[in-house]
Amino acid sequence: MKLRYSILTFLLFCTGTLFGQGIKFTASVNKNPVATGDIVEITFAVNGNAERFSPPQFTGFQVAGGPNESQSMEIINGNSSVSMSYSYELMAVKEGDFTIGPATTIVNGHSYTTNPIRIKVIKGRSVPQNSSAQTQNGPDNSITSAKTSNLAKSIFIKAVVDKSNVYMGQQITLSYRLYVRGVGIEQNQPDAIPELNGFWSEDIKHTQQQVQWHTETYKGERYNVADLKQTILFPEREGNLTIDPLGMKFVLRVQAPSEDIMDQFFGSYKQVPYTTKSAPVTIHVKPLPQAGKPDSFTGAVGEFQIESSVDKTTLKANDALNYKVKVSGRGNIKLLKTLSTNFPADFDKYDPKITDSVIENENGVAGDRYYNYLLIPRHQGDYTIDPLKFSYFNPAANRYVTLTTKAFHIKVDKGNSQSNVTAFSDGDKQDIKMLDKDIRYIKTDDSSLSNSGDLFFGSFGYYILLLLGPCLCFAAYLYRNWLIKNNSDIVKVKSRQAGKIAAKHLANAQNQLQAGNAKAFYEDVFKGLYGYLSDKLNIQYANLNKETIASAMKEKKVSSRLLDQLQDTLDLCEMARYAPVTHISEREVFEKAKSIINEIENEI
Amino acid sequence: MKYSMLKRLFYLLVIVFPLLSFGNDDAAMLFKKANDLYAKSQYKEALNTYQQIIDDDHQSAAVFFNMGNAAYKTGDIPSALLYFEKAHKLSPGDEDINFNLKYANLKTTDKIDAAPEFFLSRWWRAFILSISAKVLSVWSVLFVLAASGALALYFFGNSVSVKKASFYGALALFFLGGLSIFMANRQLSYFDDHKQAIVFSNSVNVKSGPVDKSGTLFVIHEGTKVNIMDSNNGWMKVSLANGNEGWIKTTNVKEI
Repeated sequence: MKLRYSILTFLLFCTGTLFGQGIKFTASVNKNPVATGDIVEITFAVNGNAERFSPPQFTGFQVAGGPNESQSMEIINGNSSVSMSYSYELMAVKEGDFTIGPATTIVNGHSYTTNPIRIKVIKGRSVPQNSSAQTQNGPDNSITSAKTSNLAKSIFIKAVVDKSNVYMGQQITLSYRLYVRGVGIEQNQPDAIPELNGFWSEDIKHTQQQVQWHTETYKGERYNVADLKQTILFPEREGNLTIDPLGMKFVLRVQAPSEDIMDQFFGSYKQVPYTTKSAPVTIHVKPLPQAGKPDSFTGAVGEFQIESSVDKTTLKANDALNYKVKVSGRGNIKLLKTLSTNFPADFDKYDPKITDSVIENENGVAGDRYYNYLLIPRHQGDYTIDPLKFSYFNPAANRYVTLTTKAFHIKVDKGNSQSNVTAFSDGDKQDIKMLDKDIRYIKTDDSSLSNSGDLFFGSFGYYILLLLGPCLCFAAYLYRNWLIKNNSDIVKVKSRQAGKIAAKHLANAQNQLQAGNAKAFYEDVFKGLYGYLSDKLNIQYANLNKETIASAMKEKKVSSRLLDQLQDTLDLCEMARYAPVTHISEREVFEKAKSIINEIENEI
Repeated sequence: MKYSMLKRLFYLLVIVFPLLSFGNDDAAMLFKKANDLYAKSQYKEALNTYQQIIDDDHQSAAVFFNMGNAAYKTGDIPSALLYFEKAHKLSPGDEDINFNLKYANLKTTDKIDAAPEFFLSRWWRAFILSISAKVLSVWSVLFVLAASGALALYFFGNSVSVKKASFYGALALFFLGGLSIFMANRQLSYFDDHKQAIVFSNSVNVKSGPVDKSGTLFVIHEGTKVNIMDSNNGWMKVSLANGNEGWIKTTNVKEI
């Protein structure tokens, strides 16, 4: 489309049509600057019925032709409008800047003037001063035939890049230039539109509608040059990339040689169709260096600045927070990927709104890109939005640059709990609604208050108490065993219990004594002593006599004195059963028997 | 002979029982005062008074339970959960504690679906947590003493029926005593192995490693219970009931 626009304006310019509403009186030239000896056509156009036209002084130029008057009329919806133009062919004679003054005319009784036009005349062919009108056909006489080989030198398209050895992502300005020399262009139309594979391209939009012509010397020849199309390219892959040619079809007006004098006088032209295209250009694209590539690098190449801001630092939970990042600079700014932001994990975040304000011109792409992040903190607390890191590759300095924005501390106050619930309405959780229930009431009695450090289980006291049972049980076991062992020897048991049996008899004897029954008394004492000795000495009661007692006593190593005492007492008891005892009282006998038993108990 | 054994056993029990109830008059008075404050809806003051009991180095399931209730009433759900959990630890089988714990858990932000558990391990946990370790330890002592008594009776019993009954009785009592010890031991080691904590920060980033730089895996909010798996230099490795694991800063949580 852009190409078509420029071609259209180019065409419009070539045919010299006038535009405008209301009365406009304009002056225009078909080329500027001109070389000496060249013909420049100046046209004064008015969109009305001009009554009187007075041309200005063409100082510095020779009038080679004109005035050529043309008039056109059109009727639209019954309104007729007339436009008129007066054109002169001027030949530049001298080098320098010349100003063609205003022309005046009167339309509907009003006087109009054109703006003065400055024309720069540069050095060309030498022109004889005051040459006749015949020279009006002179300018393009270098081309006298329509041979295409000649035409290729007269009109061609060149693709021009500002650099051909670049890094991936580094911007290149590409211009397709039309070089014209000595031919007129009657028609043009694009033939081959370049596809520019392997590049991300951005066309430069010109503010001026008309194609800007300038002259340029190429291979020793002077050409009129116009930029047909300018594009900024960002190589998207490494290697040798070819820029496709731009092709155009023209219908050219070339001077035809003629023998006819009239033709020679007025000039004879013919129309020649011609197709041309630019030569392909190869761009060598280097990969970005791996060394020193920062983690935060995402493909930005050029020169950038970055700044970030938040709209507030204190807010309530569930309120929105705007975090803005502005990346500005020159480079592939439109190709920037999403920034590697590091927001608190608990924030709800949305994809950023990206706004660009970027200008493309001959110097490349430059401008700002705004990332607007919407964040919604869901819970109260103090949060930190970490600094944002942005890295780019600076192809001019041939190194990576990392920029860091500042960190923001965000204080989130408790929000409206109602909205908190809706934000996290989690079906199942909300279903459990126990409107009539509450937590259970406190416990009002507590018998188990304990020192917090004390854990009864596993404590020393616990083990003592736990071992107490088995210990007692073991003791009982030992005691029982001892008892069984002790009671198993009847002789020992008897001898152990001998004293007790004797004591029983003696107690009986004492009763008899108190009753005054002497005979029974002595008998009981005798039985007591005999029974005692039988048990103690393990001798059958029937076998007991003085001899057996004496031998057994000797065996047990009882003292002879005690033995004598025992013999005496036994004799006394025996005697007392038959005859009364006078020399010793019963009490004395009783005491004696008791002491004997005691002494035997002690000695055995 | 038998008579004197029983007498000794009786004396023993008389000595043991006072040891098991470490009653404290001051603490009991504070407890009553705090309960009165709670009844008058002065929850903050009640909470402070209960805290005094804890500060005096006394504790019980009831105190923690009441503290949890008071914290719940003041709207401090994480604290309520912490106290309920502490009470639960002291008395795992208590129905009131478990109910309030569940109820307070409904007020937390994070909804965590517990990972399914094998029914046997669930039963086993319910079994070892059914009676508090304190009660179990008292029981174990009583069972062992009773078993020892029965065994002594067996040693000195005259008739065959008495001997038989006391022997099998002793076996059963020893088994019960051993079981009590085992349960108490399992319960304590369960709480040792299952250290848990309640999140007290509004929002905590759970990271993939114990350094600030590591990536955030997920976010948890106050009141969420985490299992402590490991701790390292101000960080602890935690896992949630649904099995998710990660590292958080120790300052964000309070251990139960």
